[in-house]
Amino acid sequence: MRLIPTFVITTSTFVLSCAMMTAVQAAGELNVYNWGDYINPEVLTRFEQEHDVKVTLDTYGTNEEMLAKIQAGATGYDIVFPSVHMHDIMHKLDLLWESNINKSSGFENIEPDFIRANTDPESSWCLPYAWGTVGIVYNKTKVPEITSWEDFFAIPDKYGEKITMLDDLRETIGVGLIMNGHSVNSRDPEELKAAQQFILDRKDKISAFTYDVIPLVQSGDVAASHWYVGAMYTVLQNPDEMGYVIPKEGATMYQEDICVLKTAPNKENAKLFMEFYLQPEMPALNVEQQMNGTPNKAARALLPDNLRNNPGMNPPPDVMAKLQIFEDLGADLKKYDRVWTKIRTQ
Amino acid sequence: MIPRLTTLDRKRWRLVGLLSPITLFLGVFFLAPLSIMLVYAFLEPGLYGGVEWNYYHHNFGRILGWADGEFEEFDLVYLQIFARSFRLALTTVLGALLICFPAAFWVSRLDDRWKTLCLFLITLPFFASLVVRLFAWVIILKPSGFINQTLISMGLIERPFDMLYTEGAVILGMIYIFIPFMFLPLYASLEKLDRSLIEASSDLGASRLKTFLRVTLPLSLPGIIGGSIIVFIPSLGNFIVPDLLGGAKVLMIGNLVEQQFLQARNWPFGSALAMMIMVAVLIFLLIYVSVVTRSETMSEGREF
Repeated sequence: MRLIPTFVITTSTFVLSCAMMTAVQAAGELNVYNWGDYINPEVLTRFEQEHDVKVTLDTYGTNEEMLAKIQAGATGYDIVFPSVHMHDIMHKLDLLWESNINKSSGFENIEPDFIRANTDPESSWCLPYAWGTVGIVYNKTKVPEITSWEDFFAIPDKYGEKITMLDDLRETIGVGLIMNGHSVNSRDPEELKAAQQFILDRKDKISAFTYDVIPLVQSGDVAASHWYVGAMYTVLQNPDEMGYVIPKEGATMYQEDICVLKTAPNKENAKLFMEFYLQPEMPALNVEQQMNGTPNKAARALLPDNLRNNPGMNPPPDVMAKLQIFEDLGADLKKYDRVWTKIRTQ
Repeated sequence: MIPRLTTLDRKRWRLVGLLSPITLFLGVFFLAPLSIMLVYAFLEPGLYGGVEWNYYHHNFGRILGWADGEFEEFDLVYLQIFARSFRLALTTVLGALLICFPAAFWVSRLDDRWKTLCLFLITLPFFASLVVRLFAWVIILKPSGFINQTLISMGLIERPFDMLYTEGAVILGMIYIFIPFMFLPLYASLEKLDRSLIEASSDLGASRLKTFLRVTLPLSLPGIIGGSIIVFIPSLGNFIVPDLLGGAKVLMIGNLVEQQFLQARNWPFGSALAMMIMVAVLIFLLIYVSVVTRSETMSEGREF
């Protein structure tokens, strides 16, 4: 039904000016390129209704997959959700558009601690979107309470149950680095070797490196898994059987920012979406479905108590201090690649 | 007046007409990407994916174990992965052959109506997505899955077998997905097999085993070799099965290439690895061609 007016407007503006035509034609569209299951569909629906914009959602599985696709020349996407280190990379590669979102109303609710990208210290390009911890999800019917990585790696021997880790080079090597007391962004070959040895020593105890494991933890086929805080969804549904913990030795955290691509055909709508997402109700909606953290403090105030005071989702300051975030390693990523290949070969 | 075409000209033009679509298709979708890959394999990796346009000779040396001058020590890790992939791919070929040969032999002896049904059943798995079918195997193989629960309830085992996330699961998964590719060429050559030759062999006093070894097997050899190659090539580069059923612990070359293009952002090294797979496959194809030509000249020699 919207087709006819659009057509009329388009035709009339064509007569007036071509530049204006593009603007008006674009008025109705926003192409979102996001991680799979990383936004509450309700947020997109509300945006569509409120601003009469048709949203198309396409998804990716890793930062690298998204970058590869954008670099290979994929056009037509407006906004992407890179992790902080990928935000830096995309900035260096000149793939982003400066949105000046920090001048929009509602930005004062974003906690300054979450403006993390080194290349965007004022948050004038991208908007901090969501963050979360990477810890351990476990099945309480199979193992008693877990509080540490040490408990986690002891499960196969102690209880004869299975554990899995993430099929992610940085995350899994990161655990090895944390356990040796090193930074998850270490570039020191000796520290990396120690991390490699740590994981290799336990490799026959680790059943798999995989993301697709939550149903197996629910069924008890796997007792515990290195996984994202998003697992809190099943934990809150079934708190007697499932648990999620940030290990006391430390863990990693992730954060994604909303960025507008330089090649975006609908930059105005992209900015409009970012402003829409600055309304506290939207991140709150997202948190309730995604079970992760939000940098928007006004949104946090809107959350029900069991989410706002959840130690996995909103950890106390002493736990926050133990969380590390990945930085872009540049050419040194090759060292991690080699370590990861060695881990998966031996 | 249009000049009259001679028969030869007409034949030539017909050949051009018939072959140009496939030539164009292969040129655009096979040769062009292949040349890109070949060029990339000799370029320097870009910091964030892509390539720098500088000649870089370390990629192939790195596969063979040498350090690439900057980060690594001499280590045969990539050759180990090649060796493992070859072993797994050959096991897959052997397994698929052992399952498909008797089945294809049996189907080729059925009457036409049943033959059609069986051929339809063999192609049936293609109607469902590969990933869905592999996840079904996860459910079958997991400790609380179908196989273990059946064995436990029958009292045969006490604790579930570890089947999921093992090398065995990878081989099983690969045999499963490649069975149709082995079955069809085998069936085609067994179908053509002249049954009177088998009768003649037993009339002349050969035992069943001898008939099989001296008559059936040599005559179905083209099917066996064809099926083996069609199964071997995609098994060698497979990365979905090791990921889903092997828990990413059983690294094959396909996984390594995937890792280079995505997580490691090293496109040239990924290209070089892919070129190595192609070379390996080409060597196998050359062996195939030489074996087939030899067996053909031999059988021709026998006839005259």
